[in-house]
Amino acid sequence: MTVLDREPSEAVKPVARRVLPPPVTGQELVLVAVIAVLWVLLGIFTPSFLSPSSIQPLLVSVAPIALIGVGMTFIIITAGIDVSVGGAIALCAVVTAKLLVNYAVPLPVAVAASMALGLVLGLVNGTLIAYGRVHAIIITFGTANIFQFFALRVFGSSTVNNIPATLDVFGRGDVGRTFGVPHSFAITILVVLLAWWYLRHTAGGRHLFAIGGNANAARLAGVKVQPRVLLAYAITGTLVGLGACFLIAAGTSTLDQGVGIGRELAVIAAVVIGGTSILGGRGSVIGTLLGAILVQTVTSGVTQLGWPSQLANLFVGLFIIIAVGTDLLRERARRRKA
Amino acid sequence: MSTTTAAKPAKPVETRSLGSRALEALLTQRIVLLAVLIVVLLIVMTILDSAGALSGSYNSDYLAASLINAVPLAMLGLAQLLVILSGRGGIDLSVGSMVSVTGIAFGMAYGLWGWNLVTAMLFAVVLGGILGGINGALVAYVGFPPLIATLATFYAYRSVALVWSDQKPVNSAGIQAFYSAAKAIELPVIGASLPLIPLGIFTFLIPVVIVVWILLNKTTFGRRVYAAGTNDTAAVWAGINVRPNRLLVYVLSGVISGLVGIVTVAQFASARPDAGTSGNGMALPAITIAVLGGVAITGGIGRVAGVVLATVLIVWLNAGILLAFPGNDGVQVQLLALGLVLVFASLLNGLTRRKYGGI
Amino acid sequence: MPYAADAVATVPRVSLSGIVKSYGGVRAIRNADISVAPGTVHALVGENGAGKSTLIKILAGAEHADAGSVQFNGETVSIASTTDAIALGVQTVYQEPQLFPELSVAENVFVGRELKKGARVDWAAQADAMHGLLDTVGLPDSVSTEAVGTLSIAQQQQVSIAKALAGDASVLILDEPSAILTDSEIDVLFSVIRRLTATGVAVIYISHRLDELFRIADVVTVMRDGETITTMPIGELSVREIAELMVGGVLTESRSDATGAQGEVVLELDRLSLENHFQNISLIVLAGEIVGLYGLIGSGAGEIASAVYGMKKPTGGSIRIKGEVIQLKRPAQARKLGIHLLPANRSAQGSFSFQSIAFNVTVGELQLLSRLRGWVEQRRDRSIAQEFIRRLAVKTPSEKQPISAMSGGNAQKVVLARQLVNRPELLVLVEPTQGVDVGAKEEIHRIVDGLASEGTAVLVVTSDLGEVQRMSDRILVVRSGEIVSEFTPDATQVEILAAAAGERHQEDLS
Repeated sequence: MTVLDREPSEAVKPVARRVLPPPVTGQELVLVAVIAVLWVLLGIFTPSFLSPSSIQPLLVSVAPIALIGVGMTFIIITAGIDVSVGGAIALCAVVTAKLLVNYAVPLPVAVAASMALGLVLGLVNGTLIAYGRVHAIIITFGTANIFQFFALRVFGSSTVNNIPATLDVFGRGDVGRTFGVPHSFAITILVVLLAWWYLRHTAGGRHLFAIGGNANAARLAGVKVQPRVLLAYAITGTLVGLGACFLIAAGTSTLDQGVGIGRELAVIAAVVIGGTSILGGRGSVIGTLLGAILVQTVTSGVTQLGWPSQLANLFVGLFIIIAVGTDLLRERARRRKA
Repeated sequence: MSTTTAAKPAKPVETRSLGSRALEALLTQRIVLLAVLIVVLLIVMTILDSAGALSGSYNSDYLAASLINAVPLAMLGLAQLLVILSGRGGIDLSVGSMVSVTGIAFGMAYGLWGWNLVTAMLFAVVLGGILGGINGALVAYVGFPPLIATLATFYAYRSVALVWSDQKPVNSAGIQAFYSAAKAIELPVIGASLPLIPLGIFTFLIPVVIVVWILLNKTTFGRRVYAAGTNDTAAVWAGINVRPNRLLVYVLSGVISGLVGIVTVAQFASARPDAGTSGNGMALPAITIAVLGGVAITGGIGRVAGVVLATVLIVWLNAGILLAFPGNDGVQVQLLALGLVLVFASLLNGLTRRKYGGI
Repeated sequence: MPYAADAVATVPRVSLSGIVKSYGGVRAIRNADISVAPGTVHALVGENGAGKSTLIKILAGAEHADAGSVQFNGETVSIASTTDAIALGVQTVYQEPQLFPELSVAENVFVGRELKKGARVDWAAQADAMHGLLDTVGLPDSVSTEAVGTLSIAQQQQVSIAKALAGDASVLILDEPSAILTDSEIDVLFSVIRRLTATGVAVIYISHRLDELFRIADVVTVMRDGETITTMPIGELSVREIAELMVGGVLTESRSDATGAQGEVVLELDRLSLENHFQNISLIVLAGEIVGLYGLIGSGAGEIASAVYGMKKPTGGSIRIKGEVIQLKRPAQARKLGIHLLPANRSAQGSFSFQSIAFNVTVGELQLLSRLRGWVEQRRDRSIAQEFIRRLAVKTPSEKQPISAMSGGNAQKVVLARQLVNRPELLVLVEPTQGVDVGAKEEIHRIVDGLASEGTAVLVVTSDLGEVQRMSDRILVVRSGEIVSEFTPDATQVEILAAAAGERHQEDLS
C-alpha cells in the first residue's frame, strides 16, 4: 500500500536526505570567521602580513602543531591526554638529526625512522594508559621526563649542528614549496582530511567518541575499548615523529635541546581552541587545524605589529578562555532549558 | 589496643602474619613507603660514598645544603596538594607563571619603586592571590575543567611577566642585598653541632608547611576541602557550600606561588621573568611531587607529610645523582629518575587500589 | 491463517521455571515461574525486594540462577552471559539510558554493530534502517542525525527502545519505563509498545503504577517474597486485588506508640509547587510527629523533600518553619534553620567513601568541632563520633575506620548520625533503609521513634510500604506530584498501596 502512495521520483531521488550531522560545526565557522577578520585587520595595519613571504612561514609553523594536534584530538576525544609530546618531539628530532649528520641517511629513511620511533613512544604511553589503568595525565608527565632524558643523552651537547639539507623539502625555503604551498602544510592538510574522514565515517573513529562519552556503555555495546585507546596514542606518537621532521626542517641547520619544550601545551591549546572537549566525547580535527592557525596568526601578527612578541601568549590564554567559556555557557543554557 | 584486638580472634585482619601486614602498610601508607625509600636512599648513597664512587661527599652538610632546592619544590607541591585535594580534576598548571609574575612584581616594588621589604612582599603575595582567584573563579563558578583554566592562565600570566619586565631580569642593589637572606644560617644555641641549613627553609618553607598542615587538619576549611574532593555531591547534601571553598584553594595556590616568587628572587639575586617557566617549568615537578606524595589525582586523598617526604626524597635523590653522575649527566639522570619514580608511583597507586580496595 | 497464529501463541516465547537464587545465604528468589507469550505485554509487579529485578537480571544474563531452567520458543537454553541473552534476542531497557550524549541517534542505535560498506559506516543503510525503527518507537525521521544529548528524557528512552529493537529483540524488558515520564509521554510509550507487540515481540513490563497496567498489559504476574504468587489475565483483576496479592497476608505493623502528638507546627508547606515534579503540596508536620510521605518511584515525593532542604527551588507556594516563611538557596541555609536531611542515595549523596567514620559523622556540623570559629579539635571529633557509634549501635572497631569498609546498614547509621549531631528541629528522611539489612532497618526505625518522642518533627519519604506504616503517625500518599490521600497508621497496606498505585476515588477512605 505505502509503495503505491510514494511518488516514483521521490523513490529515485532522495532529495538532500540528511543521513549525517552537518560536516562543519558552528564553532569551526566561528573560528574561520575570527581568522578571516584577523587576517583582514592585520593586512590593513601591517603592510606585509598578507604577502606570501609572511603567510608561507606562518603555514610552515602551523604544520607541526596541527599535525600533532590531530593525534592529540584523537586522544582527548577518548577523554585522555598526552603531555609527553614535548619530550617525544625532542627525542624524535634529535635521533633524526643525528642520523642525518652522522650517517647522511636519505630522506625516506630519516622520516621513517622518526615516525617509527614516535610510534614506539606512543605505544609505551598507550599501553600504560589502556592496560595499566592509570591516569593519563600522570603517566604522561612521567614519560615526558623519561623521553626528555633520552633526548638529552642523544644530544650529548646542547645542540646538533650542521644538519644536512635533506629535510628542507618540508622547510621554509623554495625547495619546501610547490605552487607556493609549503609541503609540510600540504601534508598536514592531507592528514587532517584523512583523520576527519576516519573520525566521521569509520566505525573505529566513531568508537573513539563513544569511549570518551561513556566508556562503560561503550564496553557493553561491544566496543573494544583498550585497543582503540592504544591506537589513539600510537597515532599521536607516529605523527609526533613526522612533526619532529617538520620542526627540524623549519629551523636552521642547528637543532637546539629546547626543541620540544612547551610544545605539548601549544598542541593542547590548539586542540582546545578548536572546540574539542577536554572531558571527551566531542571534538574535531578541522577545529584543531583552525586552532593552530589562529594561534600562529596571533603570534606572527603581534610580531609584525611591532608589539612585544611575548604578548602573543596572553592572547592564546584569552582565546582558550573565550572558546571554552562560551561552550560552557552554551551548555549551561541548554541544560537549563531542558 | 593490641590486647583488646587480640581478644577478638574472629577478625581476619588480626590473624594475618606480621609480614603481610607490613607489606600492606608499605603499599597503602604512602608515608611509610616514602620514609623507607629515604632510608634506603641514604644507605645506598653512603655505601657508594665510602666505596669512593661519588665525586663529592654525601654527608650531612651536603644534604642540608641541598635542601635549598626543596624550598620552591615543596611549597608548590603543597599548592598542588590543595588544588588536587579539592577534586573535580583539580590541578594548577599556572603555578610557574604565577611565580614569574609575582617575582617580577616583588622585584619592581622592592628593587625599583623603593617600597619597603614587607610591603613589597605583601604586594607579591596579594597579587598571587588575585591571579589564583582568577583560576578559582573560572573553575568553581564558571565550571572550567581545571586543566584548561590553568593552561589558559599559564599562557596569559607567563606573557604578563615577560611583557611587564620587557623580557629582562629586574635587578638593583636592594635585590642584591636581599640575596643574602637566602644564605645558610647557623641555628642559635644548638646550631653549632648541626649542619648549616639554608635560611629559606625557616623563613618560607616551614611556615608554609605549618600553615597548610593547620589549614587541612585543624580547620573546618580543610574538612570541607577533603569533603568536596571525596564526593562533591555528598558535600552539597551535607550542607557544605562547595564553590567558595574550591575558589579558596586556587587562591591559596596563588598565594604560595607568590611566596615562591619572592624566594626565587632571593635565590637568583634578581627577578627573572621566566623564573617559573624556563625549561620544563615549575608546575610539572610540583605535580610530580604531589602524586609521589600520595595525593590521588581524583581528589580527597593526600597529606602534607606525604608531600614533604616526597620532596625530601627527590631532593636528596637528585643531590645523590649529581655526585654519582658529575656535570651535565647528573641533571639528565635527574629527569630520568623523576619520570621513573612518577610512573612507578602511579602504577603502585593503581595496584594498591585493586589489591586493597579504596586507597 | 488464524490456525497458525494460534499455534504460535501456544508456545511461549520465553519461560522461566523453578528459578532459585541466593546471595550469600539470603534467598532473593525462592521459586519463580513466568511464561511470556509472543505479541503480549506481560506485567511483572511486586513490592521492593520481592525479587522482580533479580528475576529480570537472570533472564538478561546479568545474574546466574542457582536452580531452574529457561526455555526459549519451547527449547531449553542456557543463558550464561549478557551476550547469550542478546543472541537470543533478549533486550533490556533500563531506567538510566546507556547512551552517548554527543553521538547522533542513529549512531547510538548502531554503536558496536555498525552497518558497513567497505571500511566506512554505511550511513545510508543505517538511515534506511532507522526509518523503520524510529517509526516504530514514534520518533520523527529528522531526529536521526540529532545528538542524543539534545533530546528529552522521554525521547532518549525511545532511542533506547530503538536500540534494543535494532538488536532484533524478540523479548523486550522494560524496567520501570514510566517512572520518569509525564502522562502524555506515557501515552507515546504505550503506543510504541502496542506497535511492537503487533509485530510479535514479547514485552515484559515492570512497573509500580498499577493503574497504567490496565491500559497496556495483557497478563500480570505478581511476586512476593521471592516467589511468583499468581499469573492472571489482567482483565480479571482490579487494582485493589493486585495490591492485595502484592502485600499478601502480612500482619500490618503500625507504630505502637502512635500518639497523635500535639506539639507546635514545625513545618508547613502551603501549595508548594515545582514545575514538572509536584503541584500544590500542602502539609504540616508537628513537633514530635512522624509524617510519612509515601509515593512510588517518579511520584515526586523525593523532590518535595529536596525542596524543603533547599536542593531544589520551588516554583510556587511557600515553606514555613515554625510559622516563618523561608526561602532556601542551598542546603547550608536549611541546616542553619535546623532542617536536616538523610539523602536517598547513600553512595552518591551520603557517604564520603574513603574518609573515616568520624569525618562522616561530623562533616555536617563542623562548627561544633571547637568553640573557636573555623577550628577543628580532633578530640571533639572523636568524642562526638564515639558517642554516636554508641548511641546508634554502629558496629565498628573504631571511629577511625573508613566508611567504605562498613556494611550498608552500618554506613547508613553513620550518615544518619550526621543528621543528629546537632539535634534537628525537622528531620527529613528519604528512603532511610534502602539497601539496609532487616536488623539495621529495625534499629533505624527505633532511633527515629526515639527522636520523635523527644520532640523532633520527622518527615519520612519512602517507597517502602511496610516502612511508612511502621514509622508514621500520619501517612500522606503522593501520586503524580500531588497528595492524593491521607491515612492513619491503622489503614491497611492494601488501601495505601492502591491509593499510591492509582486506584481512583479512594479518597474517602482517609
